[in-house]
Amino acid sequence: MSLRVLEAFKFRRRNTVIHLLDPRSKFMLLVAFTGASLMLSDPVTLTVLLIGELVVLAVAKAVREWHRSLRGFSLILIMVFALNYLSLPSNKLFTSLAMTMRFIALTTAFSIFFLTTTPDELALALEASGVPRDYTLMFTMSLRFVPTLARDLQVVADALMSRGLELERGGIRDRVRNYVYLLVPLIVYELRRSLMVAEALEARGFGLSKRVEPYHELRFGLPDYAITILSLALLLALAYAHLSGYYARVLEYLLQLPWP
Amino acid sequence: MDAVVVDRVFFSYDEVPVLKGVSLRVRLGEVLAIMGENGAGKTTLIRHFNGLLKPKRGRVLVFGVDTREVSVAQLSRKVGIVFQNPDHQLFAESVEKEVEFALRNMDYPEEGVKERVEQVLRLLDLEKYRSRSPYSLSVGERKRLTIAAILSYDPDVLVLDEPTAGQDFINKMRIKGLIESLKAQRKAVVIVTHDVEFAAQTADRVVLMVSGEIVCEGPAREILTAPELVMKSRLSMPQIAYSALLLRRRGVALPDTPMLPDELCSELIKLVRQNVA
Repeated sequence: MSLRVLEAFKFRRRNTVIHLLDPRSKFMLLVAFTGASLMLSDPVTLTVLLIGELVVLAVAKAVREWHRSLRGFSLILIMVFALNYLSLPSNKLFTSLAMTMRFIALTTAFSIFFLTTTPDELALALEASGVPRDYTLMFTMSLRFVPTLARDLQVVADALMSRGLELERGGIRDRVRNYVYLLVPLIVYELRRSLMVAEALEARGFGLSKRVEPYHELRFGLPDYAITILSLALLLALAYAHLSGYYARVLEYLLQLPWP
Repeated sequence: MDAVVVDRVFFSYDEVPVLKGVSLRVRLGEVLAIMGENGAGKTTLIRHFNGLLKPKRGRVLVFGVDTREVSVAQLSRKVGIVFQNPDHQLFAESVEKEVEFALRNMDYPEEGVKERVEQVLRLLDLEKYRSRSPYSLSVGERKRLTIAAILSYDPDVLVLDEPTAGQDFINKMRIKGLIESLKAQRKAVVIVTHDVEFAAQTADRVVLMVSGEIVCEGPAREILTAPELVMKSRLSMPQIAYSALLLRRRGVALPDTPMLPDELCSELIKLVRQNVA
C-alpha cells in the first residue's frame, strides 16, 4: 500500500457547490453517509448509497482523486472480501459483498469530506463547536505535515539504499524488517522536528491569548440548511426502517434471491 | 576509465524539468566540486550517480555500467553517497552497528567486518563512542559517523552532499583532511557545496550549475576567480580571490591570481621585495 491511498483525503481547491458549503453541513453529510453505511448490511442498498455518494463527488469534480485512491486500497478490499468469504458459515457471497461495499461507502464518505474541506475550515468548524484551539491547531498541523513526511520517508529510503539495503526486492520478511530500518530515523527526525515547530510557535506568540478571533466567520446559507435537512432525513428514515422492521423484510427478500 | 559518466541527462519531477541535458565526467584521483544556486539541480544530479534516480533521457554510466541495468544496492558498492542531514540516515543502536550495517548488506566476510569497523572509527576519531547510541552524539560527530558508515566498505567514488553545512572550523578541517587522504588513495571525491572557501581549499575541478544546466566547468582556480562566472551562479568569490581583485582595481599589480591565504602572502611579499630592490 503506497501513499497513493492518501490522495482521496487531501484537499483540492475547486470552486464547486460542495466546496463552498459550510464545513458543519459537510460534517452532517459525513455523519449521515457514515451512519447509513453502518445501518445497511446488504450489497444492493449499499450500492445505491455508494451511487448517491458518487453523485456528490461528481458535483465536487473529485471522482478522479477518489478513483485513484480506491486503486491504492484494492489490496485491503480484496482482503476484506476474502476474509469474510472464507470465515462465514452461510450467505458467503451476499455478506462478503455487503462488507466490501460498506468499506468502500465508508471511505468514500470520508473522502468527500476531506477532499472538499480545507484543514483551516475544519479547524474553524471545530473551534466553533467548542474544541480548544490547542487541539484544532494540532489537527491542522498534522494534516499539513503529511506531504513533508512523505518526502522525509523518501530521503530516508534513499540514504538506506545508498548503504546497500535492497528495498527494491526481497520476500515479505525482509520487507517488514526493512520497514523497521526506515521507521527509526523517520520517528526520531519527526520528533525532533515537532519540538522545533513547538518552539517556533511559542516564539511567535502562540498561547498568549486564550480566545483568538478568526479571520473569517463561518456562514450557514440556504444550501447548508438543505444539506443538513437532507442528511438528517436520510438518518431518520433509515432508523425508522430498522425500528419498524421494514429493513428486516427487505433483507429477507434480498436474501432469498438466487445468489450464486 | 572514468568512474562516473553522465551523458546528456534529462530529468524532471512531475513534469517540472530539473536537469536539462547535463553531461559530466567524474575521474579517479580527483576532487570535483558541484556548485550553484539553491534549486539548480545539484542534489538531483548526484542521486543519479548510484541509480536512486534514473535519467528520463540520456544515460549515466558507473564504471561502464548503465545505472538503469542494476539495483541501487549494487551500484552503491562503487559509489557511496553521504546525504546532507545525518538524522535522515542513522538508525542503529550503537555507533559500531551503524558502521557495520553496509558491510553486512554487502556480505563482507565476518572476520573482516570487525577490523574494518575499527579502522574507520579510528580514521574519523569516533572509537571512543563505539557503543553509544548514534542519536546521543553531537551534530559534528553524527556527520562524521554518516561518513564512516559509507567509508567502511571502501567505495571508489565518495559523494558528499553539503559536507560542511553546520560544521565548525575544526570539523571542516577534519573533513578536508579526509578528502585529501582519499584523493591520495586514487579515489574520486565529489562534493556538493555552497561553501566557496571549502571548495577553493579542496577541489581540483569545479562545475557550476544554473537551473538544471552546467554553465561552466574547469580547474577550481580558473572558475572560482572569475567574478562573472561566480556571480552567475549566485555564489561569492573566495575572500582571497576577491581581495586580490580589489587590490588590482586599486593599481596593485599582482602577477598571479591567488585563491588561498598563503598564495596572497607570497604574491605580496614578491611585490614588496621588487619595490625594495
